[in-house]
Amino acid sequence: MKDTKNENIIFADLYKNETDFLIKETEKKKYVEEFLKSKIPDGKKENWRKFNSKPIFRHKYKLGKKAELDFNTIKSMSFFNPDANRIVLINGFFNEKLSFRKNEEIILTSTKKAKIEYPEIFYSHFRKIKNNDKTFFDALNESFSQDGAFIFVPDNISVKEPIHILHFIISSNGNIFSQTENIIIAGKNSSLKIIHSYHSLSRDFSFNNGRTDIFAGKNSATEYYIFEGEGDTAAHINNINTEQEKNSYLKSNIVTFCGSTVRNNFKIKLNEEHAKTEIEGIYMPDKEQYIDNFVEISHLKSNCESKQLFKGVIDNRAISVFTGKVYVAPGAQKTNSEQSNKNLLLTDYAKAYSRPQLEIYADDVACSHGSTTGQLDDEALFYMRTRGIPEKQAKTMLTSAFLKDIIENISTESYKDYVNFLINGRLKGQNPETLCSVKLCPSCT
Amino acid sequence: MLSIQNLKAEIEGKEILKGINLEVKPGEVHAIMGPNGSGKSTLASVLAGRDIFKVTGGKVIFKGKNLLELSPEERSREGIFLAFQYPVEIPGVSITNFMRAALDQHRIHRGLEPMNASEFLRYMKEKKALVELDAKLEGRSVNVGFSGGEKKKNEVFQMAMLEPDLAILDETDSGLDIDALKVVANGVNKLKTKDNATIVITHYQRLLDYIVPDIIHVLYNGRIVKTGGKELALELEKHGYDEIKKQADKMF
Ligand SMILES: Nc1ncnc2c1ncn2[C@@H]1O[C@H](COP(=O)(O)OP(=O)(O)OP(=O)(O)O)[C@@H](O)[C@H]1O
Ligand SMILES: [Mg+2]
Repeated sequence: MKDTKNENIIFADLYKNETDFLIKETEKKKYVEEFLKSKIPDGKKENWRKFNSKPIFRHKYKLGKKAELDFNTIKSMSFFNPDANRIVLINGFFNEKLSFRKNEEIILTSTKKAKIEYPEIFYSHFRKIKNNDKTFFDALNESFSQDGAFIFVPDNISVKEPIHILHFIISSNGNIFSQTENIIIAGKNSSLKIIHSYHSLSRDFSFNNGRTDIFAGKNSATEYYIFEGEGDTAAHINNINTEQEKNSYLKSNIVTFCGSTVRNNFKIKLNEEHAKTEIEGIYMPDKEQYIDNFVEISHLKSNCESKQLFKGVIDNRAISVFTGKVYVAPGAQKTNSEQSNKNLLLTDYAKAYSRPQLEIYADDVACSHGSTTGQLDDEALFYMRTRGIPEKQAKTMLTSAFLKDIIENISTESYKDYVNFLINGRLKGQNPETLCSVKLCPSCT
Repeated sequence: MLSIQNLKAEIEGKEILKGINLEVKPGEVHAIMGPNGSGKSTLASVLAGRDIFKVTGGKVIFKGKNLLELSPEERSREGIFLAFQYPVEIPGVSITNFMRAALDQHRIHRGLEPMNASEFLRYMKEKKALVELDAKLEGRSVNVGFSGGEKKKNEVFQMAMLEPDLAILDETDSGLDIDALKVVANGVNKLKTKDNATIVITHYQRLLDYIVPDIIHVLYNGRIVKTGGKELALELEKHGYDEIKKQADKMF
């Protein structure tokens, strides 16, 4: 076992000469003390079963610095829309030049600037979502986060085109650590779509410890797509916290395509009645990758609805974990919750762990869950081959058929095509790093 | 075209085919009948290349090639087609994409360019008409939610698309109403030429009224125990398998 104290000090030291933190200077001491005491979760911790932090801490990191990026690199991404709102973050820092605000009525900036320019909005949301299960990763972010994306859509405003948040890791030499704290606020009766994509332009190792808080106001409708494609030298701990008000709708979709160790912590709180949340995910770990999706949905009031659908295709010796936790508070009657996790193992060594967890304290509820893990249907494969389709192609067709329903639910065509392109490329045996590299894909539409 | 010599196959250590001999020439229609569990579908599967069955002896020569050395997809492209007794459902794969992928491979194998989208759709439409397959099936996933009869028709449709040299129809008549039976039989007959051959596996004389066989074989307990002309089917319809079984049991 590694000495955890050690890592706490190492990471605190990264920030020794830094100044601009999102927390107030006066709170600094309290946070850092808490961080120094925090523990790196290991597989023994209930919500982190199977998790192994060693691959993350095997490397030494430098703190990511502000950097520039050629706009043409961004433009070459097939699903990139130069005409839509975007926030570009490089090594965790807002790049104003590359970012673009199209709609005048929304706030599209960095968390760092929002704190100064829109203190009221900022402070009424910053750290307002409580987390009572803090780990090393949460405390690390809370103590030292410096920047991130800040999006505020006022009441009654609809943003048609997806807002794109792009994260890039760029390194000239050495392994990079970066973290962001992003805040997304959907006002009452507003609607918006966000594509939040993570990329790395570096072959060095990187570790991204991010946090995104989403506030879904009354009657709002939000679609939140995450694309994790940083390549297989990247570790990513992604904490997403959301709170939904009355009658709000949140659809989340997370595609984890690349990453050496990825842990997505999705915590969704249905705070008021008739809130509805849908979360879908696709993960495709290959080689020795580890992808872990932890979803916790708290039904705190009556008449709320939640739906989880996660599908994984696990290749080689990769490991996937899915934990779907549903909590129904006392009195949260007429709760409707569905959960499904399906895994396709492409080799005999691939592993998928699936853990549904229901904690229900109300009696008038409908909660279902199901999980399957298996290999491709042998009979279907044979049937296809008897028609002349080569085995490899038949496997590809069956695998993309397996993922099809989730892909079909992606409502932005260009992004859907991109995901399809990557998945098919991967299934055809193309190298995941090449596929995940941003420079690719001029040909993919 | 097809020569099966003393073919033996087993599954999980249990011998199912115990020495099959069969010669099929171009232009011929053979029928294989026989009681349940006698090995008819196993024979069909082994010919199509299903690897859960282990071939333990014998030879199969198809158009001069050692069939048993070929993968299922190679056999298909060489001209073998199996209409499944139980067609497999493939959720998420549309019948159009499925046939497109299959036909492309067949054409490449024959040294032809794959068809472009509109050629393909035209070709598919033509073949669908041949087997009177309802238009609405094409956008749907392969066999998913198809009725029993639709599944069987879909098998014949695929056969029409791929134009095999040797078609093996495993109980393609079962589950069909009388009109559908005629349609399916009609489709098979339309596809018949002097150069291709058909093996129909069936339990019923009824089908053989429409697809008239040159030769009928009775498969029992892993062996062909009787071979005759089309009158054999009528005889079996009348007397059942008792007499044949008794004789065979004495012999082996
Ligand atoms: N996948 C399998 N696993 C184990 N045994 C099998 C398998 N497939 C077939 N068998 C056995 O092989 C024998 C022959 O089966 P087969 O399906 O070939 O019979 P059949 O002549 O087609 O019968 P039917 O007229 O009922 O279709 C049976 O005893 C059956 O149980
Ligand atoms: Mg059978």
